[in-house]
Amino acid sequence: MSRNIAIVEDDTDQRENYADALIANGYNVKTYGNRVDAFAGMKMNLPDLAILDIMLEDEMDGGFDLCRDLRAIAPKLPIIFLTARDTDIDRVSGLRLDAWDYLTKPVNLQFLSVRVTSLFRIVDTLHTQTTELEAILRLGPLQLDPNSMSVRWNNKEINLTLTEFWLVQALAKRPGHVKTYENLMQITRQSYVERNTINGYVRRIRKKFKEADPDFSMIQTVFGVGYRWQPE
Amino acid sequence: MANGKRSHGLSIRSKLLLVAVALLLIPWMGYEYVRGLKTFLLQGQENALSLTARAVSTVLNDRPEFFDPKTGASELIGQPSDLYAFALPNYIRLDGDVRDWGDQINQMSHYDGSRGLECGLDYDPASLSYSTVIGYRGPYLYGLFQVTDDHFLTRNMSLRSLNKSDHLRLIIENPGGRVKRYVLTAAEPGRMSVYLMDKDWNYPLTGEPNYDLDAEITPTSDGYIIELRIPRFMVSSQSRLGFVVADVDDPELRTLEKLLTATKRSDSSEPLSRLLIHSPEIAKILRGLDRPVARIWVLDREQQVRAVVGKLLSEQPQESKPQTWDERLRRWYDGMLHDVYNLIVGGSEADFEDIATDVSHRNDEIFKKAVTGLPQTERRPSLDNRAEILMAANPVWSGDQVLGVVVVEQSSHEVLKNQKQILENIISVTLLVIVIITAALLVFASRLTMRIRRLRNATDLAIDPDGRVRTTHIVQEEDAGDEIGDLSRSVSGMLGRLSQYTRYLEGLPDTLAHELKNPLNVVNSSLDNLQDEIPLTKESKYMTRAKNGITRLGSILTNLTEAANLEEALKGESRERFDLVHLVSSYVEGYQLTHPNRKFELEIRANPLNVEGVQDHIAQMLDKLADNAVDFGEEGSPILVRLDKHNNHARLMIINQGQQLPETMRDRLFDPLVSVGKKNAKQSHLGLGLYVVKLIAEFHAGKVEASNRPGQTGTMFTVSLPLAA
Repeated sequence: MSRNIAIVEDDTDQRENYADALIANGYNVKTYGNRVDAFAGMKMNLPDLAILDIMLEDEMDGGFDLCRDLRAIAPKLPIIFLTARDTDIDRVSGLRLDAWDYLTKPVNLQFLSVRVTSLFRIVDTLHTQTTELEAILRLGPLQLDPNSMSVRWNNKEINLTLTEFWLVQALAKRPGHVKTYENLMQITRQSYVERNTINGYVRRIRKKFKEADPDFSMIQTVFGVGYRWQPE
Repeated sequence: MANGKRSHGLSIRSKLLLVAVALLLIPWMGYEYVRGLKTFLLQGQENALSLTARAVSTVLNDRPEFFDPKTGASELIGQPSDLYAFALPNYIRLDGDVRDWGDQINQMSHYDGSRGLECGLDYDPASLSYSTVIGYRGPYLYGLFQVTDDHFLTRNMSLRSLNKSDHLRLIIENPGGRVKRYVLTAAEPGRMSVYLMDKDWNYPLTGEPNYDLDAEITPTSDGYIIELRIPRFMVSSQSRLGFVVADVDDPELRTLEKLLTATKRSDSSEPLSRLLIHSPEIAKILRGLDRPVARIWVLDREQQVRAVVGKLLSEQPQESKPQTWDERLRRWYDGMLHDVYNLIVGGSEADFEDIATDVSHRNDEIFKKAVTGLPQTERRPSLDNRAEILMAANPVWSGDQVLGVVVVEQSSHEVLKNQKQILENIISVTLLVIVIITAALLVFASRLTMRIRRLRNATDLAIDPDGRVRTTHIVQEEDAGDEIGDLSRSVSGMLGRLSQYTRYLEGLPDTLAHELKNPLNVVNSSLDNLQDEIPLTKESKYMTRAKNGITRLGSILTNLTEAANLEEALKGESRERFDLVHLVSSYVEGYQLTHPNRKFELEIRANPLNVEGVQDHIAQMLDKLADNAVDFGEEGSPILVRLDKHNNHARLMIINQGQQLPETMRDRLFDPLVSVGKKNAKQSHLGLGLYVVKLIAEFHAGKVEASNRPGQTGTMFTVSLPLAA
């Protein structure tokens, strides 16, 4: 049974390109050009995953509004924002709406497929108890379940996006080992990442951990090189 | 720049004060006005005096008897004198019978020892006193002396000396100071002998008696009567006369005991007085014209003074001592006002010296002219030059003949006295107006200057040195309804528009990046799909190049948004205290690892350097500075990172060899979208890196500057951050 993916993007070329790539990967794709059509269509036929642009035609925050509406009818629907807007405010807004990930354009379609696949795997794990489980990573107070993309610190749930999850996973896998910016850029599985983009991710990750534990200081900056997870 | 240069012009206040100098025209105007008024008043008064002179002369017209030069004495009216000559009803017979004196007998004056020349200490009025009256008729002057004497003693003819009996002394001083002394004595009642004496009254100058003078002595019950006749030729109108009654009581010793005078002792030793003809008619006429502040002279053709009446000086009220302070202030103000008034009007003092009334002759030019028949007016200074005196002269006619001249004099002070109050008020008001207007102008100018200065300062502060709009709302003068208020509001409006424009400019990279990302995404995703559709293209070098191009484009777009995102991000950061030396050391170490082809040298001159801030952003700043040094430094040359302490600031210097900065760019280097130096096609230099450095330095209350290495090639970037307390 192939998955249904809804793509909401007002730019036809991009929309069709996404669709082509995802169809090629074996997904059923429904595309929408504006918020009203998208909500109407998805309400009728709820997809398994939605990829939303934020600016839809003349609505500056059309994607956010749509996400909010969708959350009302499908609280668990995985949603990925794929947008040209990459300010912290936009990211925070997106994640408040329980988006699973927040990607910025230009996006690499191979990476997008990988991401979608990963997300579906996580969804599967959450919904159906499959047997093929990756080992849960435990490191002191950190508990990291790659199957459900869930991260706990001192048994408190840390709500990370997929990208953030991957970064934490990469750092925590080898405590004390420096992950250079280049390493981390690849881990984000995004096309165009600068050092500062990584800094931004790490800043947001630290913030989320600090919300759970104000003394959190496990992610160390190795100035000029990258980051590392502090060894015990 | 916000702190524009001050041009060195005059301030508004100075200019307004300069304009206020024009106010000095007001006192000038007042001055001219007062002067004009004074001239007008004096002219008016001159006319009035002229009319008075004409009126007086009209009264005197056709009365030649007043001007008869043969009338021995002049009519000096209104002048105190001891000797008045009264007109007699008939000629007097020298016979001791006083009835022919008629009513004039009532004019007798009584004299006793109070005027005595030599009366001794034991003077008794009963022993010697007398009454006298002087009269005139025709060519004669007559004198009547009724003497009270307890011992009437006639001359003993055996004694040569003339002062050994009761006698009368007569002194006549004619013009030129020639004094003649006569002794009138008698051996028995009846005719008296008259001798011209030496100046000590001891001996007669000639043995012959004088026959021009006639006198008769008649004993009475309590003394004697002397009747005296003096022909007018012996005295002129300028003569002065003196009479002394001498008393000898002891018939044996015959010593001169008492001398009683009818005339005052003047400054000379002789008791002399002018003889004034008491003419009721002319006196009546002139007294009617008497006024307290004017003097009327009547002169004959020879400019002999025939009569004078009135005074130039009026009585000055005595001023009381000021008591209260406001009285004193008023006094002071009045005094000052008086001075100013005198300065303007030309002081005519109330108190001055002028020609005495008892002169007999005046020869001012005005008389000479008036005698020719023409009315004249003139002004002259008083004798002591302290006052100005107005004069008007009018001839007195008898038929076609000029009999004499009437001259009316008045001090200009008297004329202006009444107007003085008005003039002083004008001066007062003028001064007050000037003071008030000047003060008002000063206050106005100061306020205006202050308001403009406030507005200027607010405007200066509204834009920071980098040209950013700090506030779009100038509060100063915002509510003022005048032009300054308009200016304030239009500056606010301008700042608003400027701020909008600045915001637009600042947002431009972000907007641009955002707008470019969509088409870039189309290209990118299309290439991705193309690779899938035609697997052959995956290996194509053109695909690789296209992907490279897209990567670079993406990098540019990310950089474009970095600065804008940074400003956003900095707002929410919390600062912590850390050691800059530690951070920089590990940074350089790390950066060296990722750039093995460049040599980094770290020079620590102060350790530790604790600052407060956000380590990640400091590292971000170091990234930009290091990238910059790598990009612009000469290949193969080391990059020096130096840390030291300076003025309570931690100072980080990143020094590279190579190209120098153009001087003109040094200030703008840290502005967004400014880039200098070699352009590397493979790397993007949007000029945002150093802008990020500046933003971070300023977020840490520090500053960054770029300079060329003195004396060498290469540049030096210095970041100063305040040390944590």
